[in-house]
Amino acid sequence: MRFLRTLLFPLVALTSLALARSSTGDTVLVLLEPSLKKENFSIFFGDLEKKGYKLTFRSPKDTTPEIIKDDVAQFAHVVVFAPETKTFAGDITPQTLVSLLSKKTNLLLALSPKQTPLSSLAAEFTLILPPPGTPLISHFPKRDTPATVVPVEPPRAHHIISDGLAPVWFSGVPQALGNSPMLVPLLQAPPQAFASDADSDSGADALVEAAEKSGEGLWAGSSLSLVTGFQALSNARATWVGGIEIFSDEYINKEISKGVKSGNRQFVKDVAAWTFQEANVLRIDTVEHHRVNETLPRETYTINNQVTYTAYISQYDPELDLWEPYSGINDLQLEFTMLDPHIRTSLPPVAGEPGKYSVSFRVPDRHGVFKFNVDYKRKGWSYLSSTTVVPIVPPRHDEYPRFLSAAWPYYAGAFSTSAAFLLFVALWLAGDEREPKKGKGSKAE
Amino acid sequence: MVGPLSWLLASLAVLAVQASVLTLQSPRLTVSSSDAAQLRSEPLSLAHKVTPPVELRATDTLKLTFQIVDEDGKGVQPHQTFVRFYDEVTGEEGIQPVKVTAGGKAKLELNMARPPSSLPPSGKDPIKVSLYLGSFKHDPAQYELFDLFVPPSQPPAQHADEVFFHPRPEIFHTFRPEQKVPPKFVSAVFTLLLAAPWVVLLGLLAHIGPQVPYLFSSGIFPFIATLGAFEGLLVWYWVDLHLGQVLLYGAILSIPTAIAGKRALAAVGERRLGKSSPK
Repeated sequence: MRFLRTLLFPLVALTSLALARSSTGDTVLVLLEPSLKKENFSIFFGDLEKKGYKLTFRSPKDTTPEIIKDDVAQFAHVVVFAPETKTFAGDITPQTLVSLLSKKTNLLLALSPKQTPLSSLAAEFTLILPPPGTPLISHFPKRDTPATVVPVEPPRAHHIISDGLAPVWFSGVPQALGNSPMLVPLLQAPPQAFASDADSDSGADALVEAAEKSGEGLWAGSSLSLVTGFQALSNARATWVGGIEIFSDEYINKEISKGVKSGNRQFVKDVAAWTFQEANVLRIDTVEHHRVNETLPRETYTINNQVTYTAYISQYDPELDLWEPYSGINDLQLEFTMLDPHIRTSLPPVAGEPGKYSVSFRVPDRHGVFKFNVDYKRKGWSYLSSTTVVPIVPPRHDEYPRFLSAAWPYYAGAFSTSAAFLLFVALWLAGDEREPKKGKGSKAE
Repeated sequence: MVGPLSWLLASLAVLAVQASVLTLQSPRLTVSSSDAAQLRSEPLSLAHKVTPPVELRATDTLKLTFQIVDEDGKGVQPHQTFVRFYDEVTGEEGIQPVKVTAGGKAKLELNMARPPSSLPPSGKDPIKVSLYLGSFKHDPAQYELFDLFVPPSQPPAQHADEVFFHPRPEIFHTFRPEQKVPPKFVSAVFTLLLAAPWVVLLGLLAHIGPQVPYLFSSGIFPFIATLGAFEGLLVWYWVDLHLGQVLLYGAILSIPTAIAGKRALAAVGERRLGKSSPK
């Protein structure tokens, strides 16, 4: 297998440098509202098509192609570039978009300062949007673009966004994040930025009053997120982007400073790669369990047995379209549960065997129906979960300790009885009658 | 005439915009306690942070006053006058807008008895306080003012599911202690005690001196042997066999035992009859 891969990789690399496939499918439906032109996003869509995605374009008010037909999702991914659309066709409602997530379809949604059905859907994902009409503005750094077009430093040392990117041009709404752990912030606002509808200095008093209002007050600072990912329990990913211009050709080609292009192109490529299940995608291939000195699993295990549990985990490699064994998880945990976890122990990777995680432990001395439970959730990575039910029985009558030292007197007694019986039978059957000896004290007379 | 003049005016305007920088005039920091006693009062420097860091107790009040002026010395009210509280270690941040009058006079009051909601949750680490001035007409300016120590607060509320996103504490099962076995010496003593009747038996037998002349005769020996085999089967059952197996083997073995037993009894009977019938 490795030999084939060393042959295959240069061939694949020669054919297409940027071929990167999604692990869940290539079909993408792009809902592009009529006021936006496809040509203005040609670089973004072109990059997606070069990677191998098949894009289908549709206006939000058209009725075909449907996103869900006969309760089956028709596309692997849906891009909703309809930030100012107030009415959608019948098959696009907040409920159908959420049901797409449970059907493992990924979503990429763009917002705008206008109030639309999408803004109320964002609240369901614990994203708190500012009042309508208040986009993000920043007076820092001094630049020739208007205050609503903000250069944002991309995050450093982030496991989704590439390192070393130039600042990214952004314009749109910031989102305040709820504390749901399923949210994955991908681009935080600069600390000097805030949401405001003003276009002159006279709006200063309104800002102070907004902050003194109880409730959300003022949307400001680096705790705001501009591009937020959300990973649902079904492992489908939904990314909310505060403004659609971040994908546009104009922003991709705009220079951050003299001669330095913006980081928009690579940034939106990374965002799309994460959203469309190319990057950071894990799965459990198989799990095994057996007694320590055996290789095959058993129907039941006995209390106090030493049992080994093994999980094989792979990561999706988008360039080769393969699932490769992955040993990089060092905080995986196994729970041995009957109603409550009786044992929770770490499941470390086995050195020398990629993708294999194994642990041996002693089964508790309670019998019952237990399950091996692996439940791994980390921000930005696919959720791993596996449950294997196994009954634990008490020892059979002949599995208890035998030949105890406390029983020696009993062994001696039993053997004595057998030996004495055999001796008596031999004496009685084989012995001879003898005349009593004429000796002292005999009653011979 | 209009052409070059407008060009001149435009360039002057551009120069004017480029040169409009905001600065702070007479920035002052005051820390006073709950009984209005001034603990600390000093002017702030814009070039470097104030040392030592400002420490506020639970009843102190921090007052920050300054005036924002442009390069002509005229007071301005910029669009954005924000004070940022930032804890570098936890990453918590809070933004507080400062009330500025039309003449540029600004005052921020931080009363620890009723802390503002913009003060982020903090622990023992200092909160970095900075000031941001942003305006549509003037260039932006930001200043690092001072480090602030406040009494530690409650940590921010966590989502119920947050626990599942981190390694959880390990759980170990407490096993029942191993069953205790009495000391082997005691078992040995009692085994020896069990040997005592054998001593008596063997001694008495030696005294009697029995003889077994017919032991290896063809009538008696098979029966003794099959009885021995039965004892052997029982020992084998004790060590290894299951009930079903021992019952099967025992049933098979009982047939020769019964035959041999009948022959043995017949032999003994014949012996007795042979003896008693006078010849």
